Amino acid sequence: MACARRAAPPGAVSPAERAPRAAGSSAAAGARFRFVDVAAEAGVTRVTWAGRPGKDHLLDSAGTGVAFLDYDGDGRLDLYVVNGWRLDGSRIVERGRNALYHGLPGGRFEDVTERAGVGGDGVWGAGVAVADYDADGRPDILVTGFGRNLLYRNRGDGTFEEVAARLGIESPGWNTGAAFFDADGDGDLDLYVASYIDCTLEDVPQAKPILDWKGLEKVAAGPFGFKGAPDHFFRSEGGARFTDATREAGLEDTALGFGFAVRAGDFDGDGDPDLYVANDSDPNYLYRNEGDGTFREVGVWSGCALDANGAAQASMGIAAGDMNGDGLLDLVVTNFSQDFSTLYRGLGQGLFEDASEETGVGPITYLPMSWGVAFADFDNDGDLDLVIANGHIYPQIDRHPEIAGTFRQKNLLLENRDGRFYDVTARAGPGFEALESSRGLAVGDFDNDGDLDIAFTNLDAPPTLLRNDSPGGSWIEIDCRLPGGGANPIGTTVTIRSGGRVQRRDIASGDSYLSSHDPRPHFGLGAARRVDSIDVRWPDGGHTFRSDVAAGQIVTIVKGS
Amino acid sequence: MFMRRAGRAGWTVAMFATMLMLGAGPVLPQGGPAPGRTPAEMVATYNTLADAILAVKNTETNIVKTILSATYAHARVELERARKAIKGGDAKASETALENLAADVAEMGTEGDNAVGAVRKRLLEGGHHHHADGEAKGIYDEGYVVVTRVAKQAFLDAAKAIGQMAHAPKAEALESAWTKVDTTWAGLLKENG
Repeated sequence: MACARRAAPPGAVSPAERAPRAAGSSAAAGARFRFVDVAAEAGVTRVTWAGRPGKDHLLDSAGTGVAFLDYDGDGRLDLYVVNGWRLDGSRIVERGRNALYHGLPGGRFEDVTERAGVGGDGVWGAGVAVADYDADGRPDILVTGFGRNLLYRNRGDGTFEEVAARLGIESPGWNTGAAFFDADGDGDLDLYVASYIDCTLEDVPQAKPILDWKGLEKVAAGPFGFKGAPDHFFRSEGGARFTDATREAGLEDTALGFGFAVRAGDFDGDGDPDLYVANDSDPNYLYRNEGDGTFREVGVWSGCALDANGAAQASMGIAAGDMNGDGLLDLVVTNFSQDFSTLYRGLGQGLFEDASEETGVGPITYLPMSWGVAFADFDNDGDLDLVIANGHIYPQIDRHPEIAGTFRQKNLLLENRDGRFYDVTARAGPGFEALESSRGLAVGDFDNDGDLDIAFTNLDAPPTLLRNDSPGGSWIEIDCRLPGGGANPIGTTVTIRSGGRVQRRDIASGDSYLSSHDPRPHFGLGAARRVDSIDVRWPDGGHTFRSDVAAGQIVTIVKGS
Repeated sequence: MFMRRAGRAGWTVAMFATMLMLGAGPVLPQGGPAPGRTPAEMVATYNTLADAILAVKNTETNIVKTILSATYAHARVELERARKAIKGGDAKASETALENLAADVAEMGTEGDNAVGAVRKRLLEGGHHHHADGEAKGIYDEGYVVVTRVAKQAFLDAAKAIGQMAHAPKAEALESAWTKVDTTWAGLLKENG
């Protein structure tokens, strides 16, 4: 959350200057995207608290994550929202309760937090990652937090038990982003948890806004001036226990970076999962999996640790996806206000180049302060668009909106047109008109209508749930299942061919900013009515194929079938 | 718009206090100072302190140069390995050597690895900028001691170019990239004695 480093970029353009969609394209202005906030009517109403109104400590403004999951296996997505605390000066007014919303028919939700027993146990929560860590066929919920982590094991009867201490992953400190992935290829899910700064709960209520902001305001101090807290890697022992194997695995956070988001993915295409960590103000890490359960940090020379100018940025969130259809994973990393969010284009073999300027992502994202981010095909035209959650950390800037905007900001929708992105926020419907200080962001098709909806967490406000009402193209979603009942195993990759186009998605746990997306791979198909082929590559390297599949459905593919 | 706590004054005061504690400090002049003048003993002690401060700064330059020299030396070893492997058509060996070389050159660009970066961050948090003036002029990144921004970019570009060769090694391209590294390194040595 450090301050910006760059001057206004030469290519920066005002919203009014941003390119309209090319004439003659299929998208008439204002018709291509339409999002409506249905959170209140759907029953998603619990406020997510974030410290004090003045945001005197960075914890007050870090916000929380959100996850789409199907905890009860009924085929409808549920929603989990992490909560913080509400403070008044140094007084604790309320320890916010996390919320589990059970998806109901008709796109409504029921708050089942108390019955499920997943309210957060009084911890000031941060992030959420969903995975079936014990391979019992049911998704479990990891909540990272300030002070300790929580792991809610799904009992399968609508209730959960908290097992973090028993399994050895409580990890005292300010835990932030987390990702489950099979680091050593032994078939169970290991866990990486990033940490931000080294401070205690006692430091938080005592914090005062002492940092000078442009000679105009005093704002919360940090992260400079604080010591970074080390990240942790926990190796799973068959899901029965986790062991801290950070050093042994080569994942030691030697820079003591201010860690936020974490994303696992096969970034070098060699079949095993690598790990990308977004650090605030420090170089980001790319840990390359060496194939033997160890990792090598290769971020700088592989081209995705720094921006094109060689500068470390104040990184918050991560999106990974193949934005240009070349079969390679690209990355977007969100950053501080008055600095680009950076698009690292994948070059293959785990190499990247900063393509923020030429893809348009940089200029569009220069002013806002950005957090959650996702690649997703919102108009079902066969390519990945971008959605970005925005909001500043200093409420004091509202007295000087001409400098860096306001504390509450509009979120951004960027449409992908042949690998270049255009700001279509103003034409994306009323859901993108709201001003909030958003943080977490998760994407999922909660109403199972074939288009992707979006959930945001907002500081000191209820979440935003944007239902996608866009008149998009055709689509298909893949529900990947293991014979024993496990759904959408982490590390699975799905590749489809349709309409002359090849598209790829991977299933991850831990994404965006402290959040987790719908685990079912979704594909927009444009005008195509059929999918020529579907190739599911399972985490163990096995494949399941389907051919000539009708569009417009959620297809269940069982491993070995 | 870097927002870091000012700590330079505190650092200097702390050093001064340390010297006093170590017995290197002044004693009160027996005759007392001439009106309006700083006692000569205090000036002398301050001079001693100045020597120490400047020596510390020189020591910082030297340790960073040593770190860079060691990295450069290691890079040369990897370069030779890469050359030999490319010549011998050993793809696996050249890949390893080129990746190691890329990592070394990248570390020259970032003036040390992540662990060194943590030390640099700590110094910045304490308010110490080795080249405060050079940073203001855009010559150095914050906290950098030897590697200028121009040199950093040259090293990083070379590191990426070498890394990209790892799976498709080309002797000529390697020599070209290495020449840039060598030239940049030589320039830094010249600038820094």
